[in-house]
Amino acid sequence: MPEEYLVAQELHKSFNEQKAVDGVSFTIYRGEIFGLLGPNGAGKTTAIRMMSTVLEPDRGDVIIGGHSVRREADAVRSQIGVCPQELALYEDLSALDNLVFFGRMAGMSGKEARAQAMARLELMGLSERAKGKVDKFSGGMKRRVNLAVGLMGHPEMLFLDEPTVGVDPQSRNNIYETIEGLRDGGMTILYTTHYMEEADRLCDRVAIMDGGKIIALDTPYELRSQIGEPERVTLEDVFLKLTGRSLRD
Amino acid sequence: MRQLRQIAFIALKDLKRFSRDRPALLAFILFPFLFVAVFYFMFEGVGSEDDRLAFHLATREGAGGMSHQIITAMETRDPSQLQPGEPEIVWLKDYAEARRQVEDGELGGFLVFPEDFTEGIMMGYGARLEVVADAEATNTRMALYGLAQAIATQVGAQQVVTNTTVALLVEQGLATGEMPDIGQAIMGPVSAQSGASTVPPLIQYETEKVGEVKAEQPSNFVILGYLVMFVFFAAAQSASLIVRERQNHTLERLLASSVARESILGGMFIGTAVKGLLQIVIFWTVGLLIFKMDMGLSPTAVVLLSILMTIMSAAFGLMLATLVKTERAAGSIGTLAALILAPLGGCWWPLFILPKWMQSLAKITPHGWANTGFNKLMLFGADFGDVIPEMLALVVFAVIFGIIATWRFRTSAA
Repeated sequence: MPEEYLVAQELHKSFNEQKAVDGVSFTIYRGEIFGLLGPNGAGKTTAIRMMSTVLEPDRGDVIIGGHSVRREADAVRSQIGVCPQELALYEDLSALDNLVFFGRMAGMSGKEARAQAMARLELMGLSERAKGKVDKFSGGMKRRVNLAVGLMGHPEMLFLDEPTVGVDPQSRNNIYETIEGLRDGGMTILYTTHYMEEADRLCDRVAIMDGGKIIALDTPYELRSQIGEPERVTLEDVFLKLTGRSLRD
Repeated sequence: MRQLRQIAFIALKDLKRFSRDRPALLAFILFPFLFVAVFYFMFEGVGSEDDRLAFHLATREGAGGMSHQIITAMETRDPSQLQPGEPEIVWLKDYAEARRQVEDGELGGFLVFPEDFTEGIMMGYGARLEVVADAEATNTRMALYGLAQAIATQVGAQQVVTNTTVALLVEQGLATGEMPDIGQAIMGPVSAQSGASTVPPLIQYETEKVGEVKAEQPSNFVILGYLVMFVFFAAAQSASLIVRERQNHTLERLLASSVARESILGGMFIGTAVKGLLQIVIFWTVGLLIFKMDMGLSPTAVVLLSILMTIMSAAFGLMLATLVKTERAAGSIGTLAALILAPLGGCWWPLFILPKWMQSLAKITPHGWANTGFNKLMLFGADFGDVIPEMLALVVFAVIFGIIATWRFRTSAA
């Protein structure tokens, strides 16, 4: 029986009376890559922000590693790493400076932060550019630094919000391999993406959100099976069938 | 303890970013000094030199005439002994040469006693003093007219006394009516030299001293005005950086990294304040070493006032960042606020030369309080206790800005 690591319970969040997340509940097991898919405005990022303690839910709660994001935010923060959709970096500092800074913010000593920063940059294939200023990096390199920062500290769970947007195939492949390696090392990962083949390749289970609700949740194989022969249909077919073909803002 | 460390790391990170931002360094350090240098040299001739007023006198009378006695009594013998504001009186012995100097534009003008000055006074038909002045030397001409009028009034008053005395003596049979001789006997001591005689001089100049009149270093008000303006401007501009951090989600990332909201706020405040402190250290060092600034009677008060100005400015920058949504709005409003508050608060010109209503208006700006404090300390010889109101006012501004910033601070752009 897999161990429950993250349990979202009836999460609700509204902005100006517009429901962004409307009663979302799901469970992520330890060591799993859980995909959260959905069209623009489906509520994925709002859900991630609530789960990563940045945004307080209007109602409901999330339990991560046995701690409530509402009541024990600090305990939750010490267990998670976040890689936001935006490049949340200090572009006028070097890649190494960025990683060391966030490492120290996570409570590491200077020596430890520096050693881990170099290890993370090595993992992302950036050790030779460690001292280069981030604003001189390509889009793919910045994405990899963004992911490396999320790994600073000793997170047991990683939130990855569209980490491969605007990334060249080489960098994307590096990110995939890194994520698979982290999973193999026992890390729990929540992953959002618009690329269905990415979710199909990486995710153990996938939840599809639309209109702030979860409309489907299963393994990619089972989801494909729901609309046809799993070997012949893609996750994108499932996605379009469930969320429709109308354009979203 | 962990929070304090996080505050320090955030502040250090901001300083590191600042140190690597060459345009920002130029804008916040070099640019202010270019301003200061330009305005220092512009103001160098204003107030720094004692342009002493000089009156030139001449007489066409022969030796022994009363005009000789009057001029001798008035003439400045040792200009170094003159008090601030006291004019120098110069006796031009050669009338023709003096006239040539005026015609050649070498001299603005002079006052001439006529050939019959003594006779005219003694005989009672009067004497006409003449002002010889360059047509364009309006101020010199007006000053000489004033001097001529003063001499005429004094001599006229003495003559009335003399005539009345002579008339009484004649009436009582004590004199024969040889008026010129008697008059000369009475007028003589009156017009004797002031230094050599116990009798007061004929013309007296009285200088009323209001405070210590002293030639001022222009740096004492130029640098401080710009110090106040640029420290505030730099802090206001830091609001843009804070908004950028909110927009690119680094603040959210910090929050998700176990950094408390208060630590983020504190770190950004300290970072901005330290940048301001670096600015004032450089300003003061250059001001003291290059521009020969005088810190007045209480350097401690000057330093404390500078620090409070920096703290207030940092609090303003933080508050501005919490009140605007975009980086562009922060930059525009920060610049606008700095440029409006600077002249209102006396950064561009000394407040004490402004009309009362503008001095009152300055009180609504923190700049006004800071500049008033600096002016008191460095121009008017105030000590620590005299500027406590200005220090308290800056503290009040800082607290108000800080409360608003804390209340409004958010890590997310949403």
